[in-house]
Order: sequence, then structure tokens, then C-alpha cells
Amino acid sequence: MLQLIFFNVTNGLIIGAFYALMAIGLSLILNLSGVINFAHGGFLVIGGYLAYALTPRLGFWGALIVAPFLTALIGFAVERLLIRRLYGRDPLYSLLLTFGLAFIIEDGTRQIWGANGLPFSVPAALTSPLSYQFFFITGYRMFMVAMVAVVVALLFVLLRYTRIGVRIRAGTLDLETVAALGVNVRALRSLNFAVGIFLAGLAGVLAAGQIGLEPTMGDALLMPSFIAIIVGGVGSLTGTLLGGLLIGVASGLTAVIFPSASEAVIYVMMAIVLLVRPRGLLGEEGMLT
Amino acid sequence: MSAALAAEGLDTYYGKSHILHGVSLKAAEGEVTALLGRNGAGKTTTLRSVMGLTPPRQGRVTVFGQDTMHWPAFRVAALGVGYVPEGRRIFPNLSVDENLAVPLERPGPWTKASVYRLFPRLAERKLSRGRQLSGGEQEMLSIARALLVNPKLLILDEPSQGLAPLITREVFRIVAQMRAEGISVLLVEQNVRMSLAVADHAYVLDDGHVVYSGPARELAADEARVQSLTGASAEEWGPQ
Repeated sequence: MLQLIFFNVTNGLIIGAFYALMAIGLSLILNLSGVINFAHGGFLVIGGYLAYALTPRLGFWGALIVAPFLTALIGFAVERLLIRRLYGRDPLYSLLLTFGLAFIIEDGTRQIWGANGLPFSVPAALTSPLSYQFFFITGYRMFMVAMVAVVVALLFVLLRYTRIGVRIRAGTLDLETVAALGVNVRALRSLNFAVGIFLAGLAGVLAAGQIGLEPTMGDALLMPSFIAIIVGGVGSLTGTLLGGLLIGVASGLTAVIFPSASEAVIYVMMAIVLLVRPRGLLGEEGMLT
Repeated sequence: MSAALAAEGLDTYYGKSHILHGVSLKAAEGEVTALLGRNGAGKTTTLRSVMGLTPPRQGRVTVFGQDTMHWPAFRVAALGVGYVPEGRRIFPNLSVDENLAVPLERPGPWTKASVYRLFPRLAERKLSRGRQLSGGEQEMLSIARALLVNPKLLILDEPSQGLAPLITREVFRIVAQMRAEGISVLLVEQNVRMSLAVADHAYVLDDGHVVYSGPARELAADEARVQSLTGASAEEWGPQ
């Protein structure tokens, strides 16, 4: 039993790290641009399939680095060509646009790579279990968590110590004043969007190594990621990180006790958090005005 | 006398409400121009219109000879316009030092080091968050932030709002110092007497119309007008 709990908590943390990676990207975009990016799961798919296409030439490690960058580049173009036009309008417009984009990406993926799942192999060095007792902790799972930890840490350093990061944080609260101080907020939003999409692309490559590729692989991750943001508190990236890990562990633990509720539990969690703290765990008054 | 900023016939709306009705004004280079009027007269809207924050529907805005109509605010600011918004609008979650890292730093005499020299109090509170500052410190921070743009024109929207008299005097002393350093200033204020003492030219706005334009000294000498300014209406001021 103890091992079962340990297994599920570890599993939950790993899934939670994924939710967090996705949710932080969503959160960045929501905070600075006010766009609820329903295409985020689509960008995850693009990242995964790009890695698949690049692996024969670049190998796993090359694809792991290049695919997220290419995904970010596509995200950058999408922001410049489409999403930017809807800034300042009712959020419903951008929501509908990204919703449509999600379908286009999904069907585009089907057109190019087929509707059936594809295998995505990772180096043998990463697939072996670390020990027999804890057979479920494969090297690849540890690697995924480490990658998420490193990238999220890098992002927090960027936001904290670089001028662009400071401007992004300032813009989260008051973009108009950032603009009035001469900062090119258009470029800032494009860059910020691309960073968010980079995280989605990376999540795609990492997920592909674990569950393989499918045109709909982003769907299952998208809703929990939105919930991670709400649980953690809109406007707070630390909250989003915490929210992702929490709902991951919660659904992992529920899988031990009452497996059929493991998906429902995250919605229950959201309801409880919203009742107790309407702005989420780390959400603050006026963070998104 | 060339103008740092010239606005002609601005018509600005918030949604469907018509706020500015053909407002024209000039901020002459090297001078302090005061824009006065009671609450709701359209002073802040005028500043927001020339900055491009609330774009006017009609009219013309020229900044340092450039037609800036339809420009986004960041491009207007990048021409060398420092903007100190109403209510200071400092970033509450960022430290003082981080607040000062936000603005575009055009080349010029103002750097972080020199604004810290101008406002030693800010240097002492470098690591405090914006929300922990007093009103006066927030005002200093908001001015310091605008100075880092190395403005040729400084636009201040009610810098003395909610400040103690001593700090208000300090704010006006800084306005005078900026003028002495050759920066043009466009000042919106409730504090009529102190504004007229520091200004070269004055405009009075009422209900979205310019109802007075003239030398600040002339307006200051007209005690009846100065007194009525707090409750001035278009009728009292007569047609322009």
C-alpha cells in the first residue's frame, strides 16, 4: 500500500510538473496580453511532432533543443499576424481565435503525420528504471522533471533579474504605464508570447517521449493547466507552479483511493480553493488590472 | 518660440461620452505650461490624448515637429516625452530599483545613479516594494522613472495630489529645477497658485473646452479668476 501511494504521488508530481510547464506558459500570455490561449495544447503538439521530424537528423538531444525554439518561432509569427489584432478587444475574440487555431493545428497535424499515433523513442540511457523496487521511476521520468525544474528556474531568473523580465512583470500589472515610459510593448508582448509557446513546445517534446505522439495529445493537458492557474491564483507565476504540482499530486493520490475520481478531483479542488480564496492560493488584489 | 508640443482641435471620447471639444494648446520649448481647471474639466484626458493613451478622434498632435496622431504611446514617449501619470501609477509589486529598470533609457544626463542623487530617499529605499512607499516617495519614484527617459518634455498629471504641503513644495521645486535644466514642462494641477508661480503660460480648461490661454503672470494677478478657478464654469469664463 505504501509503495502504491508513493508510486501515485511520484506519478502525480511528474504529471503536475507537466501541468505547471503548460500552465506557466498560459499564465505568461494571459498576464501580459489578456489572451486565454486555447491553442496552447496545439503548440504542444507542434513541439512534439517537430521533434519527431527532426530526430532522424539531429537525434533526440538536438530535437529536444531545436523543436521548442521552432515552436516558439511559429508562436511568434501567429502572435504578429493574428493575435495582436485582437488586443484591447473583448477577450472573447482572442478566445475564439485561439479555439479555432487549436482545431487548425490538430487537423493540420493529421494531414501531415496521419491520424494514428506515432512512437517517439528516447535514448536507451534514459529509459531504464533506476531501481527494481521503484521500477516506476525511470530515468526518463526523472529527466522530465529535471528539465521542467531547470527551465522553470531559468524563467524565474529571467523574470527577476533581466530588464525584459522586469518589464514583463511591470506590464502584468500596468501595461499602459510601461508603454507611457517608452517601452515597445508590442515587441514585449510578442517576445513574451513566444516564451510561453516555447514552454508548450518543450512540454510537447517531453510528453512525446513518455506517451508517444497523437494529434490530440494536447487536449488532456490543457484543461488541468487552466485549472492550475485558477488554483494558484491568476497573475502569480509562483502560484501557477504550485497549482500545477498540487493538482497533479491530488489526482495521483485520488487514483489510489478512488481511481475513477482522479480526474474529477482537480475540479473539486478548484471549487474548494475558489470558495476559500476566490483569487486562488497566491492571487493578489488587483493583479490583473 | 517653437513648441515642444502642439495640439490642435482635439476631440476625444471615452466610449460614447464626448470629453474634449476642440482642445488646442501649446507647450513652448524651455517653458512651464500649466493646464488648470476643476475636476472633470478634461485635463487628464488632454494629457492622455497627446500621449496617445486615449487617441483623439479628431485633431492634430505635433511633438517636437513630428505629427504623432495615431502613434502608440510608446513611440510618443520615445521621442523624449516623460510622463508622470495621475495617481503616480508606480508598479506596486516591483522594488524601487526595478521600477527604475522599466523605462526606455534614451541617452542623456539622467541615469539610475543621477536620479538616485536627485532623490536620495529613493536610494535609501532601493529594495522596498512600490506599495510600501509613502505617497511622497511614490511621487518621487514616478518622476524619477519619467526622467530616465531623458525627456525633452516632461508631462506631469497632478503631481501634488494627496501630498503633504512640505512635499508639495518639493515637487514644485523639482518642476522649477527641470525648467532650469532646459526641459519643457506641461503641468496639470489642482494647486492653482503654486502652479501659476512656476508656470510661464497657463491654460484653463472647463467642460472639455479651453476657456483661457495667456501668460501665467497675468492670470495670477487676476485674483477673482484665480479664486473662481476651483469652481469655474464655462459661463463665468465667457466664450473663448
